[in-house]
Amino acid sequence: MKQMIAATRRDPVLMGLWLSLLVFALIWFAPFVFIVFTSLKSSPEIMTSGAFTPPGALVTQNYATAWNRGGFDHAFFNSVFVTVIKVPLGLMIAALSAYALARMKNRWNKLVLLFIVFGTMIPFQVMLAPLFTLVNSLGLVDTYLGLILPYLAFGIPYQIFILHSFFKSVPKELSEAALIDGASHFTTFRRIFLPITLPVMAALLILDFVATWNEFAMALVILQDADKWTLPLGLMSFQGQFSNEYGQLNAAIVMTVLPAVLVYLIFQRYFVSGLTSGAVKG
Amino acid sequence: MSNVVISDVRKNYGPTKVIHGVDIDIDDGEFVVLVGPSGCGKSTLLRMIAGLEDITGGEVRIGSRIVNDVVAKDRDIAMVFQNYALYPHMTVAENMDFSLKLKGMGKGEREERVAKAADILGLGPLLARYPRQLSGGQRQRVAMGRAIVRDPQVFLFDEPLSNLDAKLRVEMRSEIKALQHRLKTTTIYVTHDQIEAMTMADKIVVMRDGVVEQCDTPLNLYDRPANMFVAAFIGSPSMNFIEGHVQSGANGPAFISKDGVEMALPAGANPPVGTAVTYGFRPEHMALTAAGVAGALPASITLVEPTGSETMVFLKLGTAAVAGVFRERITAGEGDVIHVLPDPTRAHLFDPDTGKRLT
Repeated sequence: MKQMIAATRRDPVLMGLWLSLLVFALIWFAPFVFIVFTSLKSSPEIMTSGAFTPPGALVTQNYATAWNRGGFDHAFFNSVFVTVIKVPLGLMIAALSAYALARMKNRWNKLVLLFIVFGTMIPFQVMLAPLFTLVNSLGLVDTYLGLILPYLAFGIPYQIFILHSFFKSVPKELSEAALIDGASHFTTFRRIFLPITLPVMAALLILDFVATWNEFAMALVILQDADKWTLPLGLMSFQGQFSNEYGQLNAAIVMTVLPAVLVYLIFQRYFVSGLTSGAVKG
Repeated sequence: MSNVVISDVRKNYGPTKVIHGVDIDIDDGEFVVLVGPSGCGKSTLLRMIAGLEDITGGEVRIGSRIVNDVVAKDRDIAMVFQNYALYPHMTVAENMDFSLKLKGMGKGEREERVAKAADILGLGPLLARYPRQLSGGQRQRVAMGRAIVRDPQVFLFDEPLSNLDAKLRVEMRSEIKALQHRLKTTTIYVTHDQIEAMTMADKIVVMRDGVVEQCDTPLNLYDRPANMFVAAFIGSPSMNFIEGHVQSGANGPAFISKDGVEMALPAGANPPVGTAVTYGFRPEHMALTAAGVAGALPASITLVEPTGSETMVFLKLGTAAVAGVFRERITAGEGDVIHVLPDPTRAHLFDPDTGKRLT
């Protein structure tokens, strides 16, 4: 009986939305299917079969070859090293700054925030040439630090912007209660604000991880020694005038994308609640 | 436990003066309620005592110590906020334990204190729950528990009951009062609800526009309000005011309203004939009477509001609108004329210009 009532009450608008979401999901998913299938095919099979035809015999050798050809030994380590240092460090700096701007009395807070938000408005492409000159003058070209510092500089402002508005939405009585309970600002940040900000932090962590992991342009400008290349630069080895090893190229792409997908899958639960938590807090 | 002395305390926000030199003496173990309409500065004053707002001028002393420049955590106070301000990611026990942990207290003593506070407030079964799993009343109790585990010198309450429904508010009111009697901790309590103030306080401080209008015991405020503001603010429904002057009557000087309604002067009042005055009497200090009785005043009914135990009647006495509260059931309706007799022994005279009490 209940099922019948539910069936008759189905909202056509909702159904339409659901269907269009499904179509969009398929459109987004299709290239991934194409890449995975192609990464498991031999070169002749790629030329003779359709793009979405499942591979006949699984050519896993593509992965091993791509790993060696792309210099993934180094590239993978470099990407992991840069990301693992940059993402948590950037988030921590952003969270501390956002807390200070939102909760510590200072007449310059608004100006500083404005200055920081201004930083998010400059497209980094415009900054590539001056950035290279700066990094070069500091003698940091081809170093991890030379890459991590600009990553931090371009990543932190938008994180501060988002965290600042979240911290502002936390009732001020909460920090006052902590203050009376004997907490310093740092303790209030660590013991009260950080735990209740975890969903937002998880969302920012995913976004930042993916952005850092996939970053290409800045790495290309700053890292010239192939041993220091990150994964997206490693993919360049598969592009050549006479090269048509699509199987290897796609295997390399799968290997490059996989960690970001894994991080997303692990944290997506928090990511969703992080997107909505700001809306429901008074 | 400690006394609190507030001397000439002032607060400015830029050029705006919010509190204009307030003096209040609070004895050790006393329950003082700061009451007044929104924007009167009562919460700001409380926050200044707590150390959450800077003090522009004057002095706040807790015990023997001037605390103007002492940070909130070192003032040895505990505060209960209007919206409870419980830490949402901590259980009830962790919420209560937080300040003790920050003090560096040993685990054994902390657990003992939390258990004792939970026992006093009936929070035992809720210790493992999170704030979101509690009702409004339970959250309020946890907020109080968080305050009492610290065993502070002074409790500060900032409108702690205003988020609760009417029934729970009455319950919590008596619980807080009983708790304060039991702990004998000096308490400063802010509310805009005069019933809360009357029922809980040892002493009430009535504030308006950053100034203390009167500071006295609840019954003194009710019986002898210093001015028309306090007279109108304390008591529900509000005191009735009728403007007029003193004139010679058949039995000596009497009050004559602008409409010519004559009423006996309050006991002990003896202003010179011709003085312009405002006559004040409370709705509950007016009796129903029959026509022809000495002093009986005819009044036409504009609205009758029966509450069961008593009946509130809104009347026109001449052209003045007054309210009366009677124990009797009123059968008359709108437009009918009844006869009333204000009790002159409990009436008040005020200066219509300054609003100050004349008797």
